[in-house]
Order: sequence, then C-alpha cells, then structure tokens
Amino acid sequence: METVKKNTAKGIAFIILLILALLVVVPLTWLALSAFKEEKEILAYPPTFFTHSFTLKNFANTAKRIKIIRYIMNSVIYAVGTTALAVVVNAMAGYAYARKKFLGKNVFFILTLATMMIPFQVIMVPLFLVVYKLGMYNTYWGLIIPRVAVAGSIFMMRAAFAGLPVELEDAARIDGLSEWGIFWRIMLPQVKSSVICLIILSINGSWNDLLWPMIVASDTKMRTLANGLALFVGQNSIQYGASFAGALISIAPMFILYIFGQKYFVEGMASSGLKG
Amino acid sequence: MQVRGGCCLPSNIKTGAVMNNNVMDKGNIIYRIRKYLRSAEGSAYYFILPSIVLLIIFSIIPLIVSFYMAFFNANMTLDQVSFAGLDNFKQAFSDKRFLNSLKVTLIFTALEVPIQVLGAMAIAALISKNTYTNKLFRAIYFLPVICSATSIGIMWKMILHSNVGFFTYALQSMGLGKINFFNDTHLTIFVVAFISIWRSFGISAIVYVTAIQNVNNSLYEAAEMDGANKLEQFIHVTAPSIRPTFWYILMTRLAGSLQIFDIIFMTTDGGPNYTTESTVTYIYSRAFSSSASMGYASTMSVILFVIIMTVTVVLYRRMNAEEA
Repeated sequence: METVKKNTAKGIAFIILLILALLVVVPLTWLALSAFKEEKEILAYPPTFFTHSFTLKNFANTAKRIKIIRYIMNSVIYAVGTTALAVVVNAMAGYAYARKKFLGKNVFFILTLATMMIPFQVIMVPLFLVVYKLGMYNTYWGLIIPRVAVAGSIFMMRAAFAGLPVELEDAARIDGLSEWGIFWRIMLPQVKSSVICLIILSINGSWNDLLWPMIVASDTKMRTLANGLALFVGQNSIQYGASFAGALISIAPMFILYIFGQKYFVEGMASSGLKG
Repeated sequence: MQVRGGCCLPSNIKTGAVMNNNVMDKGNIIYRIRKYLRSAEGSAYYFILPSIVLLIIFSIIPLIVSFYMAFFNANMTLDQVSFAGLDNFKQAFSDKRFLNSLKVTLIFTALEVPIQVLGAMAIAALISKNTYTNKLFRAIYFLPVICSATSIGIMWKMILHSNVGFFTYALQSMGLGKINFFNDTHLTIFVVAFISIWRSFGISAIVYVTAIQNVNNSLYEAAEMDGANKLEQFIHVTAPSIRPTFWYILMTRLAGSLQIFDIIFMTTDGGPNYTTESTVTYIYSRAFSSSASMGYASTMSVILFVIIMTVTVVLYRRMNAEEA
C-alpha cells in the first residue's frame, strides 16, 4: 500500500516535470523549424509543426530586409567589448576588496554594493542624458562603457579572490613582481572558473540586452541584433519567416555557448544575483 | 612602509634601501603618497579606481540627476529646461495612464512573483537529486533564460497568434474555441505574465536547487528516523533550511517584476487598450518618443524608485526580524 502510494506520487511528479519540459522544448523547436518554412506555410491554416516546404530564403531575407550582418557585427562588438572591459575592471576591484587593506575600503565597498540597489529601468532616462552629454550617443563607447562596472560581478570576484592563500602573493612579492603583475599573472589565473562565469554572463547579458541598445543605439547603423530585430518586428509590413530566422540567429550562439558552458551559466547566475 | 603581515621582510629591506637614496625627499608629502600608492596596500586605489569612476558616472550620478530632473521640464537634448517645482508630481498623480500603469505593474507582479517564488521552490524540490533525468530537466528549464526577449517575443506572438497560431489551433481543435490571446482586455495580462514566467522560471528553480543541495543531509536522516515522509521532510526540513534563498528570490523577483519592460515591449507594447502597459513601458514611451519629456519621465522614474525601495526595505526588515 505504502509503495503504491509512493509510486503514484512519483508518477504524478514526473508527469508535471515532463509537461513543464515540453512547454519549453516544443515552442523552441517550433521556432527553429519555422525559420525554414516558406512564408506561405507559416501563414497557412491549419498551422504546421514540422517543416513541409524547406527553404533558406528566410535567412537571405533577413540580410535584404534588415541589415542583419551589420546588426550581428554590432552585437559582437557590444558583447566582446563589454565583456573584455568588465573582466578587467570588475576583477581588479574584486581583488582589491578581497586582498587589500586600505583607508576607506568599507566606504568604497558599500558605495559599490549600493549601486546594486539602483534599478537600471529607473535611471535609464538620466543615464541617456549623461551618455548624450558625453557625446557618446549612437557610438560603441556609449553602448559599452556604462555597462562595464557591475556591482554583482565585483561581489562575485571578491568572493573568488578571498578564498586564495596568502602565500601566493607573498611569494610573488619576494620575487619582485609589481602589484599589477601579482594580480594579472599570479592571482587572476587562480580564479579562472569565476572569470569564465563572468565572461559567459556578460556575453549573454549584452547579446540579449534590449532596452539599453534601444535607448542609446537608435541609429540604423548602430542597432544590435536584439534591438534591430525588435524594431523590425514592430513594423507593419512584417515578414514572419525573416523574423523567425532572425530570432534563430539570435538564439543559436547562446545555445552553443550554453551546451559547452552550462555549469558556468548556472554558477554565475546563482552567485552574482538574478537578472531581469 | 606598509607591510602585509610579517612575511614580507625582503621587500621591506628593499624599500628601506630606496628610502636611504632619497633622504632629501623624505619629508615630501607627494613623494610619500606616490610611494604609498606603489605599496601593497596603497595600490588598492588603482585597482578600485576604474570601477568606482564608472559606477559614479553611470549609476550614482544618473540617480541623483533623476531626482533633480523630476522638478524640471526638459526636452530630449536638454536645450529647453525650465523649473517645474512639484508640477510633474501633481501631473503624475492625476495622469490616468500613469496610475493605470502602476495598477498593471502591480497585477503583473502579483501574478508573476508567487509562481516564481513558490512554484520554482516546489519544482526545485522534485529535481534536486543529481540523477540523470533530473539533470536533463534542469538543463531544459534553464534554456529560456539564455534566449533574448526579442526572440521569445517573436516566438510566443506567433505561437499564440489569433489566426495561424500553433497553440491557438491546438486549443481550438480540443474544442476550447478560438482564443484571442493578445487582444483581450482581461486575458492578455495573464498571457504576458505567463511568457515572463516562462522566460525566467529556470533561474529561480536552479538557485533553489543549489540551496536544497546544500541542506545538511543528517537533518533528512533524522527526519526519516522520526517517520516523516517526503512531503513532511520538505515542509519541516527543506523549507526552513532554504529560507535565505527564499527571501533572496522574493526580493530580486519583486524588484524585477516592478520593472517589467522587455517582454511587454516585444509582445503587446502595452495593448490592448493599455491593459498591459507597465510603468517602465509608459516611462519609456514618454521619454524616448517624438513628444519626449525627460523631466516628466524622471518624475515617474523617481516614484517607481520609491516604490521599489519601500518594498525592498520592508521585506528586508521582515527578513531580518524572522531570521533573528
């Protein structure tokens, strides 16, 4: 009797988990398949799930209708630029807060943490004004620089550096390495997995970012994939096939990154705070 | 010179030697500051400088500016700025569209947060053991988290399309009638909340899984000895042990929901008839449309900020009171 009850409970639980999994997999599969459908098939009734009219036209159309190559390039510049600077800036700060004693350390650290409490959506209007006044509106710098320093990442790097033994630094100091050399050549390689977390989170965050590029990169030449595609979908004469192809292009690189770095995605998001 | 611990003797001797060579400069304050900045402790300022400068310019100054701007009227390029006093605040509290946007945001939050906080906890409890199937479920649930809101919006908009939507059709063939998911003044807010939950449910669940895995195993063993079944173990052992995670997810989710923008912008853009226009969506349209009014947008941002801070502080104090 007990085991029957137990097995029924287990069965129900499994069915719930399975339904939730299908709720994720089915729509994404449908999107991937639809990117290869003819416009006719997409708009046909009844709708199809599997692709009957395989075509690559939609991808060609994305290049014709929206400057997708340019958008992808801008997204890559945004993601790589932000990430490269974010690793250096946030790791430097995290290192100092974890390993060094200095006057005003607590004040600076609390100031940094306090910025975590400032919601981006609340400061987006003045942030736009600041960037505009600095002459960075519709430039890569305007897109990248405000997104580099992130309190959550500093916090994550601080925790990573705090766990390292003191002997490492002391040995390097005896060897006559500069403070920068100790950080860059000795300490940073020790926290490799946290750096990878930061890289993956930063690439994912900027690649998918919608609101900030919409505000600061409104020029057609400056749009990223996420915002260029969003504005394309907002038009009246929308081509569905092209928008699906664009959506697939937007998801695919992150999907590949996820397959290889799932562990880092999960770890990073769990330790540096939730987004959205 | 500043020495870290007692183990840096050689470097100490070295600095001493340098000092002797520059005996003349000994009293020179600039020299001493430069010396300090090169030392192990003093160099910390170089290390934190970039982040502090960036955070001040791009977080703290904008926050101050938004409070300042709330009392002014200004256009997008700040060519025309005039003092408005409390006019913007008066306008906000009599602006039906703004009040409606607050209502929509609260409804959305009330729909999303309980499912994110409690639903994710329940699901996490089911997949916390490291079996092969559980790992697969976790990997799948996390998948939407890595997708852009743009793609998710494009996808759901078409799946739930009123005519050719795949899901709409499936429901219709089950005899549930043709449902107009994106153009129903009562239903659409639920659809938007669903898509938003669909998108980020995975993070909440995975964070809970990590917390549940860290619960001390001996607690379960003790509960099992007392004859507690799995459900009782969850209520009496797991739930109390992961309380910090519960608060963490509750607070971050609340703050996130109160700022909802992406998914709404990609699916309904506030429609139909403003029934899904959140506060941030409205702020965005007032700040960056053709009739841009930065001052008024700042005023609404400040009001939203006060709401978010109040909620966070109240919850934080409850948390501390309970944990104490």
